[in-house]
Amino acid sequence: MSGSRYDAIVVGGGHNGLVCAAYLARAGRKVLVLERRPVLGGAALSEEVFPGFKFSVFSYVVSLLRPEIIRDLDLPRHGLQILPLESTLTPLDNGDYLASWADPDETRRELYRHSPRDAEAASQFGRLMLHMAMAAKPILGLVPPDPASLAPSDLRGLYRLGQHFHSLGSENFHAFCKLMTMSSADYLDEWYEFDPLKATKSASGIIGTFLGPRSPGTAYVLLHHYMGEIDGAFRAWGFQKGGTGGVSAAIASAARGFGAELRINAAVERVVTRGGQATGVVLDNGEEIAASTVVSALDPRRTFTQLLDPDELPGDLVAGVRRYKFRGSSAKVNLALAGLPEFTCLPGRGPHLRGAISISPSVEYLERAYDDAKYGEFSRAPYMDIVIPSMIDPDMAPPGKHVMSIFVQYAPYHVNGGWTDARREALGDSVIKTLARYAPNIESLILHRQVLTPADIERIVGLSEGNIFQGELALQQLFFLRPVPAWAKYRTPIRGYWQCGAGTHPGGGVMGASGRLAAHAILGARQH
Amino acid sequence: MKYDAIAIGAGTNGLVAATLLAKAGRQVLLVEQSDAIGGTARLLEFAPGFRAAPLGMDPGWLPPSVARAVGLKGVAARHAAAPLTLAVQPREFLTLWSDVGLAAEAIGRHSPKDAEAWPAFASKMDTLAGFLERVYRRPPLDLDSRSPRELLSAAGLALAFRGLGRAYMTALLRTLPMPVQDLLDDWFECEPLKAALAPAGVQHLRQGPRSAGTAFVLLHHLVGAPPGAMRRSGRWSNEPGGVVAALEQAARQSGVAIRTAAKVRRIQVNDDAVTGVVLESGEEIAAPVVLSSADPARTLLGMVDPVWLNPEFLRAVGNIKFRGCTAVVAYALDRLIDLPGLNNAAEVLAGTVTLTRTREALERAYDDAKYGRVSERPHVEITVPTLATPSDAPDGKHVLLARMQYAPYHLRDGTEWDTGQREALADSVTKAVAEISPAFADRVRHRAVFAPTDFEHQFGLTEGAAYQGELMLDQILFMRPLPGWSRYRMPVDGLYLCGSGTHPGGGVTGAPGHNAAREILRDFKRRRLRRARWENP
Repeated sequence: MSGSRYDAIVVGGGHNGLVCAAYLARAGRKVLVLERRPVLGGAALSEEVFPGFKFSVFSYVVSLLRPEIIRDLDLPRHGLQILPLESTLTPLDNGDYLASWADPDETRRELYRHSPRDAEAASQFGRLMLHMAMAAKPILGLVPPDPASLAPSDLRGLYRLGQHFHSLGSENFHAFCKLMTMSSADYLDEWYEFDPLKATKSASGIIGTFLGPRSPGTAYVLLHHYMGEIDGAFRAWGFQKGGTGGVSAAIASAARGFGAELRINAAVERVVTRGGQATGVVLDNGEEIAASTVVSALDPRRTFTQLLDPDELPGDLVAGVRRYKFRGSSAKVNLALAGLPEFTCLPGRGPHLRGAISISPSVEYLERAYDDAKYGEFSRAPYMDIVIPSMIDPDMAPPGKHVMSIFVQYAPYHVNGGWTDARREALGDSVIKTLARYAPNIESLILHRQVLTPADIERIVGLSEGNIFQGELALQQLFFLRPVPAWAKYRTPIRGYWQCGAGTHPGGGVMGASGRLAAHAILGARQH
Repeated sequence: MKYDAIAIGAGTNGLVAATLLAKAGRQVLLVEQSDAIGGTARLLEFAPGFRAAPLGMDPGWLPPSVARAVGLKGVAARHAAAPLTLAVQPREFLTLWSDVGLAAEAIGRHSPKDAEAWPAFASKMDTLAGFLERVYRRPPLDLDSRSPRELLSAAGLALAFRGLGRAYMTALLRTLPMPVQDLLDDWFECEPLKAALAPAGVQHLRQGPRSAGTAFVLLHHLVGAPPGAMRRSGRWSNEPGGVVAALEQAARQSGVAIRTAAKVRRIQVNDDAVTGVVLESGEEIAAPVVLSSADPARTLLGMVDPVWLNPEFLRAVGNIKFRGCTAVVAYALDRLIDLPGLNNAAEVLAGTVTLTRTREALERAYDDAKYGRVSERPHVEITVPTLATPSDAPDGKHVLLARMQYAPYHLRDGTEWDTGQREALADSVTKAVAEISPAFADRVRHRAVFAPTDFEHQFGLTEGAAYQGELMLDQILFMRPLPGWSRYRMPVDGLYLCGSGTHPGGGVTGAPGHNAAREILRDFKRRRLRRARWENP
């Protein structure tokens, strides 16, 4: 065929699509990435939303990006620069606060102030979590074997998985089973007594889910916080210099370096198939581009029911995609500030403003926030995870001014009456009102405010129902069940058509793992 | 008298385990703290002439293999006329007969599409519950063991799993961790049908229908039910005393010595091995084996001197989630209530009638319990057991049992389960029943309230938990009662658990006792071998 023909087209230029493209290009394939929007990055995006104020508009912290990807793609050379985000401050309702600091000794002293018992438990808990993170880590790099299949590769995979669990020893294996099945509140109840500590820790278990801290299946997300530590790439959470878009830019630059072609403003209308084989894509302007491999980085709903005619697919796959749960539950509020907020519990410009500020004063507070969402309302008093990126990277805002990023939960996609402009602003108001309880000067500092509901996230980024993980990370949607049983290995029933988004194992969180595993699966399947 | 084993607690599990040991030639003493046999299945006379088992609304599944092993004759579950009915609104009912065609017809009045899906749903749930039934008949797999026997057992299970076929294998793995809410959304469109089915997923659980793992609990409650039956409501037999009397007879016939009003104060341990029990009276009884059908916390924290147990183990026992949240109101009626809108009220009331019209209402009832409050609008299910066993009430009169959730054991801010609290609960239940039967209150001659604290006092159930520990994903199969300790043996030599706090849990009459007895008998055999080797090196 002509020289313009590509080996592979990747639909969607978010971080997973870019990672997949980079790996394919690195292996010598001619790759084209097509991004609908005028910017690359998907939800990992930096934008100057208000003049002089730069925001990580959606995804705002980095912790899970796989170290093997950073290595393989040599991302630091392409501009990856993670600035550590080391402290967490939880303002309490009694005017006090709970903090964890970069220095473990200081954290211990702080915890001791609230509960000597918890300070004792913390080191043991930390050790257990590290063991658990080590137990989980190989699973993140594994194509999930299908326990319902008799194919040799699946049996091999299951055997290896069995070996892995056996090698953990029974104590760790049992702890791992508990972690996978329990609620984060119950799990933490076994270790700690100080409620705000449990609330702040369990908050990481509810991020992006439509579950509360007392819902079973939220405990394992506690691990995420510890995953970064064992990999040693950077401790726990961090910021990308210049905003999360810089992560996408670094991956994009690496992909380009390997020869991949990246096109923006190129919305794919559908995937072209002939006789059960993908042959290319058609853009919304009618342009047709041919390739024998097409990879979708979009979520499962778009991958299977929008880019393809569902009639081309087996009925049980389509039924599986239809019952796959998205239920976006989080919103984002981005503020341009004239100055720094003053927290009543810890006044002044301290190091706490360089870390995360968690509005999670009690487990009941979080659970009640969830209750509102269950019945179709946004939380009257939401859980918030707040960072002030301009404190760490002054380039994010004009001198003396600041940007604040507020992750808000819960704001259900299916809100009663639907999302309207008025309701969006009401959500923004409730966020500011809640924050003002702890930092009363916040209202007077706001220069600009951007509120992004799940409906906005869907409209702008294209994530169905605004789910930030391309589908709930619920137990029945994980591992070999993600997105749909029997189609969890990046393949689809259409030959040459693959999935590489966070809707596949191991899921969301700017990990890039799905993109990498998909690329390996594609390269393994094709003989050249 | 010298005993080989002492069994604590004469509930169904204690009776089954003791009988199986005795049948194998062991001298067994069964001690029971109360003065009657039967545990939670025993009938209480709550008003003159009116008897009921407040936690016996659902007779559970008696595995046929257990019935055979124990030698029960003439006891069969009577399910046929035990449908599940939802009070859709006053004067309107949706009855799910175990006859699939009849149920589909009833569903069709709400949604033809759901009526069409019903036979496939009933058959799928039956197949999945059938696999669980297989899993329940044996001790849980020991994942650490490499013994040929374990591997064989694992291979058998793997084959049975494979035998389900690909679609069912996936369905099983996907269904177990699901919320019952999502499972029902996968299948059906009409809320009344979903509201009728959801409560089985949260029975005796301090969780709502949106919680992960509640689909498993639904399946658990279908184990042993005939295909199409969505609740096992019914009775074990029409004989007075039912299965309890039959079990007692079997136990006595096989030589089990039974002592009632004999409460165990302590399980005696010496050199890390059980030596017997001490009763409240101070009497000491020696035996090398003690098996307890009391719950894990009561047994291990209440009866064993902690010096014999590892602190980590004790901590884990202390972390078992009991969280009783069920209360029961027993009503003595001067005649059967009628249900306006139904002309076959007796047939319907012989089964279960659930009064919660939507899953959202069920979830909201749970919300209160999360914060330590009794549900303002509780979930209520009623049945009239005397329709099957008229002798449990005076002539022509009836007992109505109303089970309600959620009534958390631990109330907020130190509130106690005092008379006021319990009467308020009973009033709210009466009000709920009166919504479908306006004349209800006039028929009531007497009522008795059983709050979780009453179950604790009456039956010795920690926190009033009917199943001796919640059936949550982290407390089932090889994790019940604790990961690593699911094989009935406890860390003290000769000490075993055999109650519903062990695999496969509550609502499966006698299965834990049966599985435990098997393990105990194996150990007897092994010990004899060890001793033989010792004596003749």
